[in-house]
Amino acid sequence: MKKPIVEFIDFGFQYRSQSSPTLYNINLTIYQGEKVLILGPSGSGKSTLANCINGLNPFSYEGKITGSCKIAGRETKTASIFALSKTVGTVLQDSDAQFVALSVGEDIAFALENQSVPRDEMIPKVQRASEIVGMEDFLHHLPYELSGGQKQKVALAGVLHDDVDLLLFDEPLASLDPQAGMQAIELIHKIHLEQKKTVIIIEHRLEDVLHRPVDRIILMNEGRIVFDGSPDKLLTSNLLPKYGIREPLYIMAMKYAGCTFTGQEVLSDIHSMDLSPFEDKLKAHFRSPVKRSPIPVRDEILRVEDVSFSYGDGDVLKDVSFSINRGEKVAFVGKNGAGKSTMAKLLCGIIRPDKGEIHVEAENYLQYSIKEIGEKIGYVMQNPNQMLVKDIILDEVELALLLRDKSREEIDVAVERALDMCNLYGMRNWPIHAVSYGQRKRVTIASILVLQPDIIILDEPTAGQDYYHYTEIMNFLDDLNREYGITIVFITHDMHLAIEYTDRALVFSDGELIADDSVFKVLSNDEVITEANLKQTSLYTLAKRLDLEPEDYIEHFIAYERMKKDNEKPTS
Amino acid sequence: MKSPLLNLIPGDTYIHKLTGKTKVRTFVILLIYIIMSFDLRLLLPLFIAGIIGLVSLRPEWKTLRYFFIVVAAVNLLNIVLFWLVNPDIGTFWCGGSRTVLISFTKKLFISLETLWYLSIRFFKMITSFLISMVFILSITPSELAAGLYSIKVPYKICTIFSIAFRYIPDIGRDYENIKISMQARGVELDPKKVPLIDRIKQNVLILVPLIITSFDRVGNISNAMDLRGYGRGKTRTYYSEHEEGRADKIFKVFYMGLLVFSAIWIVSRIISPPPSKMWYPFS
Repeated sequence: MKKPIVEFIDFGFQYRSQSSPTLYNINLTIYQGEKVLILGPSGSGKSTLANCINGLNPFSYEGKITGSCKIAGRETKTASIFALSKTVGTVLQDSDAQFVALSVGEDIAFALENQSVPRDEMIPKVQRASEIVGMEDFLHHLPYELSGGQKQKVALAGVLHDDVDLLLFDEPLASLDPQAGMQAIELIHKIHLEQKKTVIIIEHRLEDVLHRPVDRIILMNEGRIVFDGSPDKLLTSNLLPKYGIREPLYIMAMKYAGCTFTGQEVLSDIHSMDLSPFEDKLKAHFRSPVKRSPIPVRDEILRVEDVSFSYGDGDVLKDVSFSINRGEKVAFVGKNGAGKSTMAKLLCGIIRPDKGEIHVEAENYLQYSIKEIGEKIGYVMQNPNQMLVKDIILDEVELALLLRDKSREEIDVAVERALDMCNLYGMRNWPIHAVSYGQRKRVTIASILVLQPDIIILDEPTAGQDYYHYTEIMNFLDDLNREYGITIVFITHDMHLAIEYTDRALVFSDGELIADDSVFKVLSNDEVITEANLKQTSLYTLAKRLDLEPEDYIEHFIAYERMKKDNEKPTS
Repeated sequence: MKSPLLNLIPGDTYIHKLTGKTKVRTFVILLIYIIMSFDLRLLLPLFIAGIIGLVSLRPEWKTLRYFFIVVAAVNLLNIVLFWLVNPDIGTFWCGGSRTVLISFTKKLFISLETLWYLSIRFFKMITSFLISMVFILSITPSELAAGLYSIKVPYKICTIFSIAFRYIPDIGRDYENIKISMQARGVELDPKKVPLIDRIKQNVLILVPLIITSFDRVGNISNAMDLRGYGRGKTRTYYSEHEEGRADKIFKVFYMGLLVFSAIWIVSRIISPPPSKMWYPFS
C-alpha cells in the first residue's frame, strides 16, 4: 500500500480579498514517489492549489480554508509554513527573484542558515545539493553571471536539503528558452528517480513536460478538478481543447489527419508510441493538397547592412545583414544573450551601430533621434507593467502624442483609431489597473500604434500566458498585420509562436545571424537548432518516424493549419 | 557586472581574507577610537595604518581618487565655514590662549589655536574616511550581514543589507528598460535638448512603472524566503562566514586591546578632565 503524501478532502479555498472561492471541492490524493502534473489555464486555480500545498496559502495570502488538506499526515490549517517547508520544497516560477543571496553557494545554503546549521555541517550539504543539480563548479558565482536555467537549478538545489519528500515546481518552464526548459524537465525527472522524491509540476505547457514521462495528470478548470488520470487517457480525450490547453503538435497532426482514438492507445511518448494504426492516415493526409497562400512580393521596408555592435568588451553583434518587407511577420529567435534584443534596440535607435547601416524605407535612419525613429518603429516590452505610466487607458494611449506637442484634433483622431484597432474604444475611460494582463498588453500596443509606426517590435509577446490568452494576443496581432499592413517583428524563443504566426525566422547565435529562412526550414535544420538553443518540435520526430522529409512535413502542417484557420474565420 | 567600489566576490589580500565578524568589530572599535580622540598623537598612527591598509587592498585608484577629491573638498569647505562662524574657536579647545597670527578685522583673524584645531579636525575627517574606505573595500555585503549579526544586531536588519545589494542591480536594469521604452515613445532625456525641470518630470514618469514592478518583485522575494524558512528561528548562521584564521586572532588581540585602551581613555578623561579640551603642544 502506497503512502499518501498529499491528501485533499472536500477542500476549498477563498482568498480574503475575493468574493468567491478560488478552489471548490478538491478531492485529490498524491502518493509518495509519484510524479504528477497539474495542468490548467490561467485562473484555473492550479497555482492556488500549489500554494495550499506549500503553505503560502494561508500564511502569506490570507484566506478561508474549508475541508481538509493533509501534507505527510499533517493538517495544513494548523501547520506553519516552516514546518511544511521541511516536507515540501518549492521552486518558484521567477527564477531571478527567488535567488535571494549574493552567490550560488550562499543561495543553496539559505535554508540551512535559517535553521542555524553550523557552517562546517553546511559545507558538505551545499556541496552535495549542488552536485545533484550539476552546479558544483559555480558555487562562487554571482546571480548576475547565471542564465535563467542555471538560476533555476540553484533554486532547486536550495530546497533539496532536509530530505524533503515532495518537490513542487510552479511553472518551471515559464522563463526558460526551449533547450533550457527541456534540460529542466530532464533534471526534474532524474531527481525524481535517483532521489526518490515525489514531484508535482504546475504547468500549462503539456508537450514540453511530456518530454519525460509523468505518472498522472490533474487537469483543473475554474477551481475544480476536471480530470485526474494517466497522460494517455487525457491525450485521447477531447478535454484539452475544451479547457484551453494546447495539445502536443503531434497529436494535433494526428487529429488533422483524421486519426481517431479509442482511449486505449499509449500516446504520451512520441518516440515509443505505436504508430502503425495511424501511419496510413498520416501519410495520406500529408499527400493531400493544401492551399499555399503565396507570400505577396512587397517593397522592402527595412534593410540592415553589415551591422556590428559592442558594449565595449567583445562584439554583441557581428556583421549582421538582413531585410524585411512591408507587411511581413518575422521572428527573431535565439538563446538569451545571442544578440536578438540588442538587434531590436538598434532598430529602435536606442543604441547605434558601431559599423554598418540601417535603412528604413530606403532612408538611412541613423540621422534620426530615438523620438523620431519611434514614429516609424514601435517597441513593445515584454512586461506591460514596465510600460504603463498613467491611470486611465485613454491617457496612456495619448501620451506619446502629447509628448510630441500635436494639436488636440490630431490627437483625438489618432487615439480613436489606435483604440479602435485594439478593440479598446469602449474601455477608454477604464482605469488601467482594473483590466486583465492581456488587456494591458493591448493598451501598451495601442500606445505604440497611436504614432502610426510602420513596424512594431514585440519582445516575448506571449511570455507567461496560457494558451487561451496566447491565442487571443496572437490573433489580435495577426489581424493588425492583415488589416492594417503593419510589419511585425517578434522577439521570442517560443517555437510554437514562430511556427504558427510568422513567415520567417531570423536565428541569432553568439551575435551572428546564423539562419534567415522560413520557419519550417529553420526547424528542420539540426545544426541551427542546437546552436540557437532551440528544440526539435514533435512534428520533426513524427516525420522522421514516418520516413517523411521533416522540412516538407512541417511545411505541410503549417500550411494546413493556416488554411484551417482562414476557413474558420467569418468571411468579411 | 562589476562595481568599482563594492565587491561581491571576496578578494584575496590579507585584509580581504578576514572574517566579516573581525572586519565589522574592528571597524566599530576604530570608529569609537576616532570619535573619542581629538588628538594628533592618537590619530597619526591610525592614519598611517589606514594608508597601509588601503594600499594592501590593491584598489582601483582611478575611482578612489575621485572620492578623495570630493571628500577633501567638502571637508575643506566645512572647516572654512567653521572658521568664518567663529574665528576664535581654537581658544575654547586649546586651553584658553589666543595667539593671533594674521588679523583681517577685529573679529576676523587667524590664530594659531584655531589653525591647530581646524587642522586636527580636517585630519580626523580624512582619517575616518580612510578607515571607512578600507572597510567598504574589504567587505562583501554577505560578510557585512554576518559581521553585524556577530555584534548582536538582529538578523532581520542584517538581511536588509545583503538583500538590498542583491537587488539594486536588478532595479537598475528595470530602470534602464523602462527608460528605453519611454524614450521610444517620445520622452526626451537628452540634457542638451530639455531643461532640467522637464527632465525631472519625465523621470518621475519612469518611476511609476519602476515602483510597480519592484513591488511585484518584493512579493516574490518574500515568498521565496518564507518557503525556505526565513524568520523561523531566533538565531541564524552564515555560509559566507568562514573559519577564523591566524590573522583573525591577531586582529582580535588588537581590537580588544584598543577597546580596553579606549575605555580607559574615556573614563580617565571623565574622572579628571585635562586642562585643555584637546592636545595642544604649543601652550
